Amino acid sequence: MAGGGGAEAQATSADRHKKKRGKGLKIGVHIDMTPMVDVIMLLLTFFMLTTTLATPQVMQINLPKGDEKDKVKVDMGNVLFIRVSDQGNIYFSLGKSDGTEQAPEFVEFTDMKNRLEALYAANENLLLLLKFSRGMKYNLMVDILDEINRAAIEKRYTFLPMEETDREIVRLAGG
Amino acid sequence: MKKPRSIKKPGIRIDMTPLVDVIMLLLTFFMLTATFKSVESEAVEVSLPKSFNTDSTKLPEKDVMTITLTPAGDIFVDVDNYLVRQEVFGDRFAIGLYHPDSTTKSEIEETGKIGNKDFKRKVVLLNKAQFEKTLTDLRLTLKNMTDNQSDFRIVLKGDKDTNFGIVEDLMASLKETRNTRFSLVTTFKFEKEGEDSEE
Repeated sequence: MAGGGGAEAQATSADRHKKKRGKGLKIGVHIDMTPMVDVIMLLLTFFMLTTTLATPQVMQINLPKGDEKDKVKVDMGNVLFIRVSDQGNIYFSLGKSDGTEQAPEFVEFTDMKNRLEALYAANENLLLLLKFSRGMKYNLMVDILDEINRAAIEKRYTFLPMEETDREIVRLAGG
Repeated sequence: MKKPRSIKKPGIRIDMTPLVDVIMLLLTFFMLTATFKSVESEAVEVSLPKSFNTDSTKLPEKDVMTITLTPAGDIFVDVDNYLVRQEVFGDRFAIGLYHPDSTTKSEIEETGKIGNKDFKRKVVLLNKAQFEKTLTDLRLTLKNMTDNQSDFRIVLKGDKDTNFGIVEDLMASLKETRNTRFSLVTTFKFEKEGEDSEE
């Protein structure tokens, strides 16, 4: 099509030349844009394919400074243990002021945010102690932190290693 | 051979100018927004977890120490400044590797590949003490090179399927080396009720 168009353009301009000889004539300059469009299309495709539009975002984590002398005493009554098993089941148990804690309770992930908000409404000084099992997936950790960030509570949480007693508690609660 | 009735072919001329205009606009847009991934920084590929954007922080662009966790339980440590790498690892394109689980071997030692892909950069194997020394060295070297001007950031790129145990080990090491502030890299998750995926 492009070649035919070009030939025709030449023919018409030649015709016009014959007819209007002697007069001040305007030659209709036809620039064939096809090669340019081809190149631009190639460039466009290249940039479209190589570009990365979704830049990843970050979640900020602050660990407590791990100095022995900085150990903080917490009132166990303000503590909420969040234990997660290898299978990814989440258990909440509230601490009691005498150092013991309530029986663990299974919490659905989708329900977590509401439960956290309810618990925070009951006790504003709530401190979350996260005890994640080593076998659990990183994805779930991010999801849980995300839920804590999203919940309308003060973001006070810290990571604690899961010890044998914790594993026992989780196992008795259903794993 | 000519056909008995010669059909006149109308020379269809399509005016390409509007098309070219639009394509030019698109091209300009993509050329200006494009940020190219450097080959080296994407050496270890992981599938990032998703999170809702709560504080809308973007990934910092420079002076970043990237710690990558793979599902095989390997921890890769890297900085974006090749001079720092030269200083700490002795090679401009080297990357540090620490495998916390001493009972198994790292993926690169076993198969020579990472995530079923050939790995082109030099890998420096580190044990726990060396890894912690590297964490400190990388930070200090970068600080010295930039005359304490740099806002040094640690970002953690974990694969979705990494076990939390690896993260726990890493956090212990970070705490040990007083790197208590770091960021987790995630991709954006859209706010949609009922689409929370659970493991």
